[in-house]
Amino acid sequence: MASQPQTSRRPIAPQIVPGAEGIRTSIPIIVVCAILTLIGVAGFVAGIMTETEPHAWEAFLVNFLFFFSVAQGGLAISASFYLTQARWGGPGAYRLAESFYVFLPVAFVLFWVLFFGRAELWPWVTKPVAKNPTWLNTPFFFAREGFALLAMVALDLWFVRVSQRVDVRQWALSNDNITMPPDAIRRLAPAVAIVYAVVMSLVAFDLIMSLAPAWKSTLFGAFFFAGAFWSGIVAMALTAVVLRGRLPSGNLFTRDSIMHDLGKFTFAFSVFWAYTLFAQYIVIWYGDIPNETFFLVVRGAIIGGYTGFTPWRIPTWTVPVLVWVIPFCFLMGVKPKKTPAILGTVALLGLVGMWIERYVLVVPSLSPYRIPFNWIEAAVTLGFLGIFGLCAIPGLKLTIAAATAPQVLEAAEE
Amino acid sequence: MSAEIELVGTFADEEGCVHGVEVLKRAGIAYRVFAPIPSEHLLHAIGRGLSPVRAIVLIGAITGVLTGVAITVGTSWEWNLIVGGKPVVSWPPFIIIMFELMILFGGLSAALSFFFFARMPQLDPIAGYSERFSADRFGIAVECDEADSARIEAMMREAGAEEIAHEDPRTVPVAH
Repeated sequence: MASQPQTSRRPIAPQIVPGAEGIRTSIPIIVVCAILTLIGVAGFVAGIMTETEPHAWEAFLVNFLFFFSVAQGGLAISASFYLTQARWGGPGAYRLAESFYVFLPVAFVLFWVLFFGRAELWPWVTKPVAKNPTWLNTPFFFAREGFALLAMVALDLWFVRVSQRVDVRQWALSNDNITMPPDAIRRLAPAVAIVYAVVMSLVAFDLIMSLAPAWKSTLFGAFFFAGAFWSGIVAMALTAVVLRGRLPSGNLFTRDSIMHDLGKFTFAFSVFWAYTLFAQYIVIWYGDIPNETFFLVVRGAIIGGYTGFTPWRIPTWTVPVLVWVIPFCFLMGVKPKKTPAILGTVALLGLVGMWIERYVLVVPSLSPYRIPFNWIEAAVTLGFLGIFGLCAIPGLKLTIAAATAPQVLEAAEE
Repeated sequence: MSAEIELVGTFADEEGCVHGVEVLKRAGIAYRVFAPIPSEHLLHAIGRGLSPVRAIVLIGAITGVLTGVAITVGTSWEWNLIVGGKPVVSWPPFIIIMFELMILFGGLSAALSFFFFARMPQLDPIAGYSERFSADRFGIAVECDEADSARIEAMMREAGAEEIAHEDPRTVPVAH
């Protein structure tokens, strides 16, 4: 070997996890997503042109927050897998968590659309808040949000790139419990986790809390990113359940242990979400200070005492039912966790619950007395679903490749 | 009547021990297993299902919640005072008491039922026990007639026993 001339070619690691080459893109899915996107754009434009109320902007903000949470939560999950050296699903679990990463740069672009609706959304744009005009003003608001989102998305893309490297995938595939992940990913993962917590808190404080500038809750940022993390988990569970039956038999998601682990995740972080919710709620409820409780009163969330009628009571109370009660009751046992139909249904309801949660956090601040949901909001939601679907294709192809890698299918035959 | 004898086979790994258990079980020979680690494979091999501790913990936890309800709601009804404009029975803070008592009762029942079902504390050493079975070796002890010992020894060796000690079951082992 030593006598051979040195070439500039780097040694090629064995391609143990195939890339997405050779996986066909489903044309009907692209067509459906494109149509949904067009419906969304049409609805959004129609909403701005014809309506006096800011339906289109509300829907845009709600959906931006929801879909961005799902994609960004997935990245945080992948980072926490590296931090805990998780190898229960091999590279497949990492690809599954990162399935929606392409949406992140798109979301950064979509964020700037909000700039044009600022006067319709945030009350402090037209009526500056006397207490903190230096924090809540248009230039600084968009500068810091823009910079924070740009930094986070750039870091995410770098992280995904490293995470897809052959040596990192090889590490994820090995069963040697003592080996640490490769250096590059070991240094990036904590950065992604910390930036996630900081930037998502900022997003929660600025984009949601400043819709009602008088209201403050210190834990709100953590509540928001715990929810985003959970929405990433349920998106993973739902994706796994959907792919399970569609991929060749013996694929990664047909393994009971994978379903069990995803079920445990869904269960555990649903409880964590409920914990952050209750931790805020109890302090506000007990303190009973008007400029804290109004946020709950408007949403019909106060327990006990007369708070008057509000139509928001129903969606508000639907959220903890979908996000906590149902996962807690239905995923407590081992068998339901391993039953794809149950796990998939709980995950789907959980995603709906998280969407309603974002809606209930945003919209009552703008429309306290009635639920303004109409066809424009439905159209914008479908549009976001379309864009998200289109962006999911490259990531899902990698997930499919990892879930149907030869050694995964071989392991199933043994 | 031939003498009773205690055969103690030592196994270096879980797999061999599981194999040994399976062989003995098939032959219908009574045995006792020592393991340095909690092993699901061994539990499966000796035919033990899930631990009854689980059910006890659930019962304990539910008892805790009910105790929490009784304490909070009961005392509130007993005194019937409106405090800070809140309803007499105001659930949000009660949830905390209910939750904490659930954890307390559940945790205590886990600890107590664990000791109970593990038959702890075990002050006298069990026949056949050796210190190595708490360190790095698995062990299977079989009480049998001297006449059978050669056959059983062969079975254990076949399964992968490293060494097989002959002990007199009447001598109580010294506490280590």
